[in-house]
Amino acid sequence: MRIIAVGIAEIKVVQPPALLRTNLGSCIAVCIYDPATATGGLLHFMMPRSLQGTAIVKKAKYADTGIQELVEEVKRMSQAKSCSGFVAKIFGGARVLQNISSDIGSNNEEAARRILKEMGIPITASQTGGDRGYKIEFDVGTGIARCQRFGEEAKEY
Amino acid sequence: MGRRIMIVDDAPIVRLMLKDILVYNGYEVVAECSNGAEAVQTYKELKPDLVTLDIIMPEKDGIEALSEILDFDGSAKVVMVTAVDQREALMKAIRLGATDYIVKPFESERVVSAIANALQ
Amino acid sequence: MSSQDKLQKAIKVIAQLSIDTASRTFSKLIKAGATIDLERAFIADISEVTRMFSGSEDEVVGAYVDLVGDAPFTFLFFVSAPDSLMLTDLMLRREVGTTKEFDLYAKSAVQEIGNVLASAIVNVFSRDFGIAMKPTPPAVCRDYIGTVFEEYIMKSAGELNELFVMESRFCVVQFDIKCHMFIVPLPGSDEVLQTVLESPNMKEYY
Repeated sequence: MRIIAVGIAEIKVVQPPALLRTNLGSCIAVCIYDPATATGGLLHFMMPRSLQGTAIVKKAKYADTGIQELVEEVKRMSQAKSCSGFVAKIFGGARVLQNISSDIGSNNEEAARRILKEMGIPITASQTGGDRGYKIEFDVGTGIARCQRFGEEAKEY
Repeated sequence: MGRRIMIVDDAPIVRLMLKDILVYNGYEVVAECSNGAEAVQTYKELKPDLVTLDIIMPEKDGIEALSEILDFDGSAKVVMVTAVDQREALMKAIRLGATDYIVKPFESERVVSAIANALQ
Repeated sequence: MSSQDKLQKAIKVIAQLSIDTASRTFSKLIKAGATIDLERAFIADISEVTRMFSGSEDEVVGAYVDLVGDAPFTFLFFVSAPDSLMLTDLMLRREVGTTKEFDLYAKSAVQEIGNVLASAIVNVFSRDFGIAMKPTPPAVCRDYIGTVFEEYIMKSAGELNELFVMESRFCVVQFDIKCHMFIVPLPGSDEVLQTVLESPNMKEYY
């Protein structure tokens, strides 16, 4: 099984069998899966919204442009005409550095939930928030996400 | 010669490092404080023979604490401790009445000689 | 040489001096010899550089410091959780192996190492290049290496997609302890660093 690392501000949509792996702090990972075609991908974004009125080079950096781009890439790979039937799983959005005033983690989570709702894609699983990081492994063939919060046992979703 | 020392630093490990050096050299550590406000309060209660005082601390920094301690007790002996060679802050501290200063990372010998000289 | 090339060269020289000073300061702090076994400066895409540590099981303790002033930088020091216990013992002049769990003193040890190294670097900026800087109190985080590093890149990147990263690794040979240090200049430091290019100290380097 191929294991592909995903960095910050990145989208990976690949043919199965493959595991997409990433770590999260205040960033959010959005895993999108199409059960009809067993196709999936992962977005690791870092900020809730892109600056309006500027050309965005790294769409995966932001929730709004990133989730849209992720869904488009899954549609292309699955040859789906729409995202009906797609499901999402979201992880991360922690606050690991205590002396940072803004809670970017929860802002990122709120943005992900809102945008997925607007797109009509249900969130079937999530593990978010807290003060510790996450390790995520997303199987693009089965849609199963393995999430391990730092210091805890891994769970499958 | 007095041997009662109060240690002031926001880093627990630095307080322990200084305590280990001082106790090994026969001094008595009568109090440990983690910020300037606590330092001033505790000084007034215990009147130690000498204070080691970190410059950069939360709530009240070392310069402000030094000023208030000297206002309370003009003969207080204070050795400043700093990680940065903060010439301005150190000059200010010496002008206010600090006895000496130690720069981190410190050697045991330097700590002991600064304390011993200050207490003479 | 273009002005961008000169700027990068200036940053590399400052970084080299900073890293040398930091490693000597580190050796003094732990009273054990530390060698620099990696030292590089490179332009990094934020996705690519975070992929380096992504998905790893490794657990580290990191100290984050903001160097504020005329030329703002960010600083990160991290070490594996087991090695942080050994560093605690070295700082306290205790037999290595005495500290058995990650307690208040182990956390404080990493925080203090971050504080002292960042301060040593600030001294290089001010003493050698006349750039006034000040370190903020370090924030400490114990977590997956990927999480610790990602948070650092997020702090450093902001709206940027590429960063100029200076990476170094110290090795305490006697105990096989490996520590990582990163320094990244932030937007706003360009102008001041450009004037550093003109200083007599710099001319001998390019």
